This record gives sequence, structure tokens and C-alpha cells, in this order.
Amino acid sequence: MKMILFRKFRVLILMVFLIACTMHIMIDLLPKLERRAAGPSAGNSACSCSHRPSEEPQSWGKQRLRPGAESGWPNKHTLRILQDFSNEPSSNLTSHSLEKITGPGDKTETFKRLEQYARNEESKKHFIQNTGAESEPVQGSSRLSSLFEQPLYKIPLPPLTDEDTLFNVNTDIRFNPKAAEDQEWQNEGHKEEFSPTGESSVDTYPNWLRFHIGINRYELYARHSPVMDALLNDLVTQRITSVAMKSGGTQLKLIMTFQNYGQALFKPMKQTREQETPPDFFYFSDFERHNAEIAAFHLDRILDFRRVPPVAGRLVNMTKEIRDVTRDKKLWKTFFISPANNICFYGECSYYCSTEHALCGKPDQIEGSLAAFLPDLALAKRKTWRNPWRRSYHKRKKAEWEVDPDYCEEVKQTPPYDSGTRLLDIMDMTIFDFLMGNMDRHHYETFEKFGNDTFIIHLDNGRGFGKYSHDEASILVPLSQCCRVKKSTHLRLQLLAREEFKLSTLMAESLLRDRLTPVLIQPHLEAMDRRLRLVLKVLSDCIEKEGYTAVVEDDLEGGSTHTAPRDR
Amino acid sequence: EERAPKLERLFTHPLYNFQSPNLGEEGVLLQPEELMSHYRRKVSRWERHQRYYNEAAAASNISLLRHEVTFDPEASWLKFHLGINRYALYARDEPSIDQLLQDMHSAAIIGADYTQDEKALRGVCDCSQVVKPSGHHLKLALKLQDFGKAMFKPMRQAREQETPEDFFYFVDLQRHNAEIAAFHLDRILDFRRVPPVAGRLINVTKEILYTTHNEELKSVFFTSPANNTCFFAKCLYMCKTEYAVCGSPDALEGSMSAYLPSLSIAPRLAIPNPWTRSYTFTGKEEWEVNPFFCDSIKQLYPYNSGNRLLNIIDMAIFDFLIGNMDRHHYEIFTKFGDDSLLLHIDNARGFGKHSHDEMSILAPLTQCCIIKRSTLQRLRLLSEDDYRLSDVMRESLGRDALLSILTEPHLQALDRRLRRILQAVRTCIRKLGETQVVAVDFVESHGGTV
Repeated sequence: MKMILFRKFRVLILMVFLIACTMHIMIDLLPKLERRAAGPSAGNSACSCSHRPSEEPQSWGKQRLRPGAESGWPNKHTLRILQDFSNEPSSNLTSHSLEKITGPGDKTETFKRLEQYARNEESKKHFIQNTGAESEPVQGSSRLSSLFEQPLYKIPLPPLTDEDTLFNVNTDIRFNPKAAEDQEWQNEGHKEEFSPTGESSVDTYPNWLRFHIGINRYELYARHSPVMDALLNDLVTQRITSVAMKSGGTQLKLIMTFQNYGQALFKPMKQTREQETPPDFFYFSDFERHNAEIAAFHLDRILDFRRVPPVAGRLVNMTKEIRDVTRDKKLWKTFFISPANNICFYGECSYYCSTEHALCGKPDQIEGSLAAFLPDLALAKRKTWRNPWRRSYHKRKKAEWEVDPDYCEEVKQTPPYDSGTRLLDIMDMTIFDFLMGNMDRHHYETFEKFGNDTFIIHLDNGRGFGKYSHDEASILVPLSQCCRVKKSTHLRLQLLAREEFKLSTLMAESLLRDRLTPVLIQPHLEAMDRRLRLVLKVLSDCIEKEGYTAVVEDDLEGGSTHTAPRDR
Repeated sequence: EERAPKLERLFTHPLYNFQSPNLGEEGVLLQPEELMSHYRRKVSRWERHQRYYNEAAAASNISLLRHEVTFDPEASWLKFHLGINRYALYARDEPSIDQLLQDMHSAAIIGADYTQDEKALRGVCDCSQVVKPSGHHLKLALKLQDFGKAMFKPMRQAREQETPEDFFYFVDLQRHNAEIAAFHLDRILDFRRVPPVAGRLINVTKEILYTTHNEELKSVFFTSPANNTCFFAKCLYMCKTEYAVCGSPDALEGSMSAYLPSLSIAPRLAIPNPWTRSYTFTGKEEWEVNPFFCDSIKQLYPYNSGNRLLNIIDMAIFDFLIGNMDRHHYEIFTKFGDDSLLLHIDNARGFGKHSHDEMSILAPLTQCCIIKRSTLQRLRLLSEDDYRLSDVMRESLGRDALLSILTEPHLQALDRRLRRILQAVRTCIRKLGETQVVAVDFVESHGGTV
């Protein structure tokens, strides 16, 4: 009797234990199931890819607890946690590093996104060549348009082959007939101005896609491409359909998705136009400035580099265009109403994401820069290169180039700087950074498809334009150590130093086109003229020392001889 | 004007010259013998440590700065500690207070270290915390030549800067000038509940970096790109909420606030302020929504008897004048029990906005409608032209070594806020009658009337 009772009791205990276990497992699984269930039901499937990042908000604290637990995370990300003012800012190594973490599932999504537009195979090829070539000249008699009328700004590109365009539409973008039948997507599209009808042509593609297709070995975009103006306009007018926080990087950036599925990187305003970086701040603790991003794009275009993705300023409604459209709980949670009744938020990041640095609207309007996304990494891989003249990112240590005056000789012997135009491209970048006062160029990127013979992309310019009263001579060190420059760049710099094409005037005119004008205050504009003279001085010293032909590399033969007579 | 300065006239006014009640043995915080032996023990421990450091330095061929330490039974800080009684931190005419201010301003600094509340947090930096614990803020404990200790708060904000309008009270910066000005205001109000504070220009390298034996503190020093010596609060710097403070190149302004007697010989109690705030973005405390909040407080121990509630109202008046919304706790000496004075410590978040009067700070007065008679009489006096608060404050602050502690708009704001307090009292009197509102407090029974 006792025995049976005892056994019953044991069985009972066992049962209770089993039930508890099942309950536990169920409770663990429940949220996951819920999330899966919520996935397809919430919104259209074509759009879900763009929300993916928001579902994985990146908490540094959590990552530290389970390093490498998420399969998609490269080690680099965990290293970033360790970074602080004194450490390696391997951080904003790619400005679009979120694309790196998208898993294989997202890759197919991004393909789909492109495929949906890639209908008319015929027109594609034609379109690429169209954008590659010169388009109609800009009307009007402004200084800017007369600058672009100069022969120096009319040098054509070498003829492009399939190897020279980023997207060879026939082979790279597979046509998916099913995409055309994607009802949800079509309905969404019909509501808006662009209509993906059966007889779609190039013109019906959204501008962000036309921008992507137009990228080639030599430039991000063509000189007078109408796509660029349209894309800039899109950035400020398109409806924002979703917002996510960008992982990686040090300071708060948001990824905004538009109604036409284009995406852009949003950097909010953190400082007023008049504020200068305090003298005691290190370059790596400086704020990122939204107006620097905008101005860098315009400067890059005036220098005819065309290596900065298009950026436009926009006044964003924090309630309707950020808080109400984000699915990122971590971002959403940081919204609050300030004592002055303004809407504020601070997000989550490693630098300046705290209540003390909250971004507040007035009452809910916030300024920011929107930089168009480059093609998804799944479609166009990019290579990240360490800048040979990278700073130490340490409060006390010095970098090698700061102590070795012959540092450039070493660099010149190291691939890829020993051949092609790479070293000259670095010189272009150096000049560009010095004009802005950007000391934070630790890495640069190229498109992998083009190998080593291609331009370098000037991403992440938010730390330029911090001090107008100071010219940071150390940024120019690569130029003074190497004493090399492209002839085209040299001639353009000389042109921009002339009174009728004064850089500050041209920049002021160009920036007028932005909604957030004035983007730069006058002292910053004047500083650029002063810095330009310093660049030319360094170059003339080089020429005096080493001779013109040793310093100035003629990159105009071919191009210039063809166009110059015609233009005169 | 030919007449004596307003401040001098204020302190000779009968309201500031009545006889204090007899204290007796129990009314004084410390017994001299006890304090002296404590002091002796500290000096001998210091000398022992110093020998140890010197030996270690000699072993590794480093020359240390030598500091002469003097055991001085006449030290001003000793007199300050011995003078603390049940009613005030110091007597009105105590000469050692001026001496203490002078010492904090110029005596040699022999040691620097983190404060106890920062050490207590050792290593824990939770960047997601919205309200940072007080240990996170940048402040240092400095030891003076005569063994007096002072808390150093460096300058973080230019005098002209106001707290940004979107800042909550719990994210506001700590201002060294607010610490200094709060001490002077407290003395002018005759509360004498703020430990003495003096301004000082510190040589960051020589007086902090070279005098500290704390390796962690040494490690937060660096040279900025502008070649200034800087240091930072570890947690706030790590969480990227604050940048470092920098000298120019070594000189840094700050406030020196005299330490109270060590907790081991004079324990204190921190009591939550009934009118504390929620310390969240959205939450509201009961007093913010319930106009009859004070009625329930009056029923509660220890506010249902004695002077405690009246002291809270004094504190509210003081905080309203300086615009300090951050009074979450107040401290009392356990020795004196419920009748003890309330210490007004940590006033660095006052004087942030001169253009704004935060009426909610005055809630204890407007809700309870009760005020000490002595306080009310002094407030009335300070609103008269002959003793105008802004003028006596300007004169009083002029005695500090740092120039223009408060900008003119802040001084003007004091007058405006004083008028608002008196207005609030008038409203109460109209509603409840003078006998209900004006409480005859104990000091009054001994003192003369005007």
C-alpha cells in the first residue's frame, strides 16, 4: 500500500515536472511564433525587407553578453564595442554597414526589389549608355553653370564596356516575370506618381534605381544627369514609409525607406551652424554634422570628382515621419516630450546617444541630411581600404606617417598604390578633406567589380566643416609627402582660385538649391578659399622642388584633345 | 551713496542679531576631544602612507613632490566642525568661517582623490541609465595642507550659458558658480545650512595629477589637441554623455566646498524629500496632481510635529530662489534627531535659467500655506530697497576670489523670485488668516522683533 502511494506520488511529481518543462518551452517559443505570424500579415511582402533591420535593433550591451551568437555578425562588430575615444574607430568603416549584416534571406529580397523594376530588358542597355554620356547643358547664366561650361568640365569619359558599368542589366539583374504579377506591390505603386505598368521604360524607374544603374568605373553619376536633380528632389519629397536605426557607426543615424522603395541615410542636426568644434575635442570625438554631409556633396560636384552619393537636407516631422513609422522598439522607446514641450529622442548608439544629447524638434520638426543609399552590398560588393594616412585614433600615440617624412616612398611601392591612379585618387581625397577640414578619413571604399582601376567613394563626410577659424595642416600631409597630383584636378583648383569662379561663391550658389539653405555660414565658405590657396601653395612648392612633370600627372591626353577644340 | 554697504547694514540689522538659544552639551555636534583624537589618527595614517609612497618612489627612481603636513589644532576647518550645532552649521559672527573660505581658496593642496560616492560605484557604468547616480558626476575630494578637506567641482559651463530649454532637471549640468552662490544666499537668508564654499583657480597638473595616489584618477588625464590638460569623469565619458574638462592650459576654475565632519564621528541620515520629482520623462508625483497633498503630509511622522515641515518650506524657498529642481533628498545629523537642521548640500544644479521661475519648486509653501515668522520677516526685509536681495548678493559674492560668480540677469531673477514668494504668502494669508500661516518658530521666542 505504502509502496503504491509512494509510486503514485513519484509519478505525480514526474508529471508536474514534465508539464512545467513543456510550459517553459512553450513560453520560450511563443514570442518567436508570434513574430513569425506578424511578419507577413503586417504590410506587403516586398517592403518587409526594409523593415528587417528594425527587428534586430543593435544593443551594444546585449552583444557584449553573447558575442557571435547571431550568425550574421562579423567579428568587426564585436570589436567596435571596445572602441571608445581612445580606441580604434573601425566603426563607420562602411557607412552602410547595415547592408553587410543582411542575411541570405535579405539578399533574395534585395534582388527581388531590383527585379521588380527590371522588366524591359531592351531599354536597359540603352539607358546606361544614355546616362554615361553627356546630357543637355544646364540653362541659365549663373556662375555655377558657366563653370560647368568650362572645357575642364567637359572632358568625356572613355567609352564604357560591360566591364565598366556596375550593373550589366542583362546578366546581373535577372528578370523575374512573377514580380510583375505581384499585386500588392503594384497596388502600392499605383497610388503614387510612378506606375510600373507593362510597357515600362527607363523613365518609369524610380530615380534611386536609375542612379544605381548609372554608376560606372569612373564616376558615381554623370555630370549633368537629370536623374541627380530628380533624386535630390525625391529625397526631400518622397513619403517616408519606415525608419530604422543604423547599426555600427558611432553616432546616431537612421535608415529611411521611401514609398518608392528607395532608401537613404538620415543624419539629424546636432549642432547649430555657428557652433565650432571645441578646441579640446579630438577628431574622433567630434560631432557628425548634417550640414557637412550636404556641403560635402556639393563641394565634390564642384570639384568634378563625383564620388559622394547625393545628399539633400530635409525638415523631418519627428512624430509622423520617424516615431509613427518605425518598428524599432528601441528607437521608439527613446522618444519623450521635453520640459519645453518639444518632441525629443536620443536613440541608441555608442556616441552621444543619451538624454544629455537628445535631439529635439521645434516642436516636432527636425533638420537632417538624407544621403542616398549606394546599391545593396548583395548586388554590388564594395571593398574597404585602410587609408595609409590614417590617424592613430589614440589620445597619445602617433601614426607612422606623422614621424616618417619619407612615408610616401613606402606607400608608393605598395600595391595598389604602385600602379594605376590610386595614389592620385588618394591625393584628390586629401585635397577634398582638407578643404572641408575632415580629419576622420580612416578608410575609403571602392566597388569590387572594378578592381583597382576605379575611383574611390567619399563616404562619411559628417566630420567636415567643424572649424572655420582653423586650417588643419596635417590633413594635407599626404600631398606634401607625395608631391603628386592629377593634371585635371590641378587645373580645376587653379580655376576655382580665380576671382570669377571663386570656390566660396560657387559653393554658396550650389548650396542655395538645398532646402536647408543656408547650409554653411559665410566663415566656412571663406575658409575654403583660404584652404584652396594653401593647397595650391603646397603644389607649387612641390613643382619648384621636383619639376612640373614629376608632380603633375597628365590624365587629360585623349580626353582633352578631343573636346578642347570643340569647346573653344 | 555715503552709507555703509548694504550687506554690512543687513548683518547689523536686529533681525540678524538676536541671541541664539542656549545650546548646552547636547546642542553641539562634536566634542573637541573626540574630534582631536580623530584628527590625530588621520594625520599619523597619512604620514605612514606618505612614507610608503616615498619608499616606493625611491625604489623606482621617481621623485615625488613633498608636501609639508601640519597638525594644527587651530585649523579653520576644525573650528567649523566644532561650531556645528542643532540650529545652524555655523554662528553668524564666527570668524573661522571667513578663515576657512580663505584657506580653501589658497592653502596648498596635498592630496586628491575621488569622492566616496564615486568610489562606491566602482567600475559600474550603466550607460542606459537616464538618471545618473550622483557618483557619476565629476568632482574630486581635495586635501589641504592643514588636513581640511574640500569637494572640488570644476567649471562646466560659461557664466552666460543657460540650461537648454529641452533639458530635464535630472540631466542638467553641475555648475560650480551655483555652489558658491548658494552658500552666499544661504548666509544672507540667515539659514546657515550650506557648508562654506569658495571659488578657486586650480592648477590641474600640479594640484591634482601630481598630488593624487589614485591610479585610476591619474589615468583619466590627457593632453587635448589644443595642448590643454584635461581629465574626465570615467562613466560619463565612457557613455559619451560628457566630454572632459580642460584647463587652459593647466588652470581650471572650480568651487571648493568644505567637508562636513566624517560620517564615522557625526553620522547623517538622508531622507527623501516628500516633494521629490519623478525622475522620469513622463511620470508625475502625487504632489504635482493633488493640491491637498500637504494635508496628508501634515499627518505623517515626522512632519506632524516640531519644526520639520517648516524647515522643508525654508528649503523650498531656498531652492526656488536658486531654481534648483533636483532636491530629491535632504540630510540631517542623526545626533540631533527630528529637531535637527536640514542640510542644504549639493546645490550645483541651481542658477541654470535666469529667465524662468519654476513655480513648482514652491509647492510646499503654496500647498501647506505655512511659513516661519523669522523667515518671512527676513524675506520682507530683503525685498526692501535698502536691503535688496540682489544688491546684498552682489556685494557678498564680490568677496569671493572668482570674479562675477553670477551674471546680472541671475541677480535680478532673485529679486523677482523673492516677490513671487511674498506674493504666495500673501495669497495664503488672505485665504487662511495670518495666525494660521505665519508660524512663530522657536528662534523668534528668544529674539527681538522689528
